[in-house]
Amino acid sequence: MSALEEQIRSAARQYLENGDVSVVIGYERGPKGKVRPAFVHQADDAERLVWSPECNLNLVTYLHNYKHSPRRGVPVPRVAVVVRPCDARAVNLLLHEQQIKRENVKVIGVTCAGSEVDGELRQACTVCQERVPVIYDVLVEPEQPVEVPEAQDDYGDVAEMESWTPGERLEYWAKEFDRCIRCYACRQACPGCYCFECVAEQVFPHWTSIALELPEKYFFHVMRAFHLAGRCVGCDACEVVCPMDIPLSKLNRMLAKEVEALFGYHTGDDPETLPPLATFSPEERLRL
Amino acid sequence: MTHSLPNPMKPHLATLVGVRNLATGIKLFQVKIDDAEVMRRFDYTPGQFAEISAFGVGESPIGIASIRARSEAIEFAVNRVGTVTETLHRLDVGDKIGLRGPLGNGFPMEQFKGKNIVVLGGGIGGAPLRPVVQTILHNRSDYGKLSIFWAARTPDLLVFTDEYDEWRAAPNTELHLTVDKATPDWLHKEGLITTLVEEVAPSAENAISITCGPPIMIKFAMLSLQKLGFASEQNWVTLEAKMKCGIGKCGRCNIGDKFICLDGPIFRFDQVQQFLESFV
Amino acid sequence: MKVLTQAQLNEWLNHLAERFTLAAPVNVQGKLLYRQVDDSSGIAWGFERTDMSPKTWTFPATEPILIIEQGAETRLDDAPAPAPTVVFGVRPCDARGALAIDALFLDKEPSDGQYARHREATTLIGLACPQMWDSCFCTVVGGAPNSTEGLDLLLTEVDGSDGAAYAVQIISEKGEKLAAGMPGEEKGVSLPKPRLAKGLPTLPASQEWKAQFNETFWKQVTERCLGCRACTFVCPTCRCFDVRDEVVSRQPGRTVLQRLRAWDACTSAPYRRIAGGHNPRPTQHSRLRNRFYCKFMYYPDDFGPLGCVGCGRCIEACPVNIDILEVIAGVEQLAASGSS
Repeated sequence: MSALEEQIRSAARQYLENGDVSVVIGYERGPKGKVRPAFVHQADDAERLVWSPECNLNLVTYLHNYKHSPRRGVPVPRVAVVVRPCDARAVNLLLHEQQIKRENVKVIGVTCAGSEVDGELRQACTVCQERVPVIYDVLVEPEQPVEVPEAQDDYGDVAEMESWTPGERLEYWAKEFDRCIRCYACRQACPGCYCFECVAEQVFPHWTSIALELPEKYFFHVMRAFHLAGRCVGCDACEVVCPMDIPLSKLNRMLAKEVEALFGYHTGDDPETLPPLATFSPEERLRL
Repeated sequence: MTHSLPNPMKPHLATLVGVRNLATGIKLFQVKIDDAEVMRRFDYTPGQFAEISAFGVGESPIGIASIRARSEAIEFAVNRVGTVTETLHRLDVGDKIGLRGPLGNGFPMEQFKGKNIVVLGGGIGGAPLRPVVQTILHNRSDYGKLSIFWAARTPDLLVFTDEYDEWRAAPNTELHLTVDKATPDWLHKEGLITTLVEEVAPSAENAISITCGPPIMIKFAMLSLQKLGFASEQNWVTLEAKMKCGIGKCGRCNIGDKFICLDGPIFRFDQVQQFLESFV
Repeated sequence: MKVLTQAQLNEWLNHLAERFTLAAPVNVQGKLLYRQVDDSSGIAWGFERTDMSPKTWTFPATEPILIIEQGAETRLDDAPAPAPTVVFGVRPCDARGALAIDALFLDKEPSDGQYARHREATTLIGLACPQMWDSCFCTVVGGAPNSTEGLDLLLTEVDGSDGAAYAVQIISEKGEKLAAGMPGEEKGVSLPKPRLAKGLPTLPASQEWKAQFNETFWKQVTERCLGCRACTFVCPTCRCFDVRDEVVSRQPGRTVLQRLRAWDACTSAPYRRIAGGHNPRPTQHSRLRNRFYCKFMYYPDDFGPLGCVGCGRCIEACPVNIDILEVIAGVEQLAASGSS
């Protein structure tokens, strides 16, 4: 057991023993060794929790399951959640958007050395310099400080796409979306996607066909990316969960870059600054 | 497997021959299937339903509110709640709709003969119960005492009000009305249907009950009937769900291993009790 | 038994592609999908399990089931007939998946005419699995890596003198018709025995599932479910669908609509949500539980076959490692502890 794991377990145990929270959301290993989300309700079960670079989802998305009172007269549950720095910014996002109350959430922040997908360091993690979550109640720290890569162009990975003509981009994405099965795993895994009724499934008005074909897939992904502009925290959970390996992070990062360039805003960095698309100031000028 | 298998998802073209307001947001549609031969053979029992197409939007399952003996046209009470019903409400006499049916099992009216019958209808839930009432009144001596409990949230949401006099006048028949929230001119009870049922306390002896209404009403009606001594086997409920096909294929309306569209919408309560989740 | 060399098989498939819509496993940007191919060169050989099942060729992900013309008068027509199709490289589990869907769409009245036309137009050429792959459990649900059930022809890779060779088993009349004129030579070959997976659970009977419906086990298993539709869309037996009218063309005085049916999934929240917002399956645990119960209790009780063929795709596709084998083992354990 690593030092990180021990700290996560001990924090979870304490929260549950003290009755601070009714559930701790972290990771466990399934019977075949795969890392997966775990929901720990009892202090004794805290031993199930693990930490490894394979922990590559954004558990903040599960907070949406705990933001309402389950029954009349029962308070909104209090929950602890294990987060990486990118996930932590999603906690701020949900605070901004008044989805959760700070007092109902305990954040177990993990000092992050990057997450892996299929044994390889996630692309975004290779340039990420964030090591400590921007928001936490307990900080989980390794014995040795984690190395930080030299500063480089954060958006190097989308530079190539930027040089493409609109036609080339259309062609590229049509090819990628072609194998989308419209399973919505990307949306479900995203802490920022929590509409009660998604535009893609809305019955009235009926924005898009129920067909599982290219125009609908294209519409869905582009619409989702726009809805996440200035809200995406770059955790890449959407891409990680995609059963068809569609490089969704590229789409989100293009928009994140735009928002950063236009508004100087990086999603969820602090709990105070409102996201640019959730606010308006008369002085605001677009530098187009 | 043969080429000639018909497409059970293909509706009959039908024409609206009558439309009238039944209650606030509820209209009664009288429908005739265009193909005279199909219309002639369109035979149905109380409790069955049809998939009604509003072309351009889709289909919605709607209970048949008439009986053949009383009405030449097929009648449907349509509550404006979704996209299909919204579109239907904009249609008028002469407009075309699609109709697939009759679907579902219907009430075993033969089995009910000789029994005392307690009917609980809530709001639009009264619509599929009207054929039950009409069948009993039409064959009055075949059945025992008929106690009708009819409810709605407000008086303007009560359906088939113009038939209450006939129901009251029928031999061995009682009509009890209640609304959740009365208006000043309301002369009957105010309160939940379950309170009224418990107050009137129809005997469970040689009786069966039939309940149709919103999920929450069914849930509490079952508890009230239980208090009055009705066993689950004596209670019949009509359930509804979102449906896409109405013929047991699309998978949407199952309760446990039963499909509401195929094995229902009429169930003896004990048949579905275990699998009701939040209540349908 | 007839044996084909790889070259002969390619030649035969090229020939089929001229006469039929030929679908086969194709590597689409790293994912193995059954796509139409112009000839054998596009086929991904040596695959294990495809990422999607061939279900979409007999039960399309999206298809019109009715054409509605509104003008001076309203006309309703059936959708165009499907083209004669051959699906090559069907794994035995997926063919059993087609049989499971048949039990519902064809055998249970009323039969679905549109589905029947697809099944009639489609010939399934199987490719036996030499072994059970990771997450495979066909043997738990009554199948086998070399099962012939539901296939028209089954090809098994055998050692050839010069590279791969395929032994051909003719299973159905349809298969026999298709195999007429097939190259290759008659040989006495013995088919290799596939390697089976070990340590798999035993599937509890449907009444055991029924008894465990209200167990807290389901809450534990499904707490992490994200409510996406991946498991059902990759599944060769899941057949839930949605229906909706869509406009094809609109001109003054004449509108053409099509009534589409498209795959849907009981695991997603809007699936049963009704107008007004009420959801009779309000929790994710009740939704995902339904999927398992459909497969192992409702489906066999209502239609005969199990609603699961053990392909293991849902295990691989699930973003949060909800593992149907773990669920089966869990119910097995609950049943055992309940009866002791």
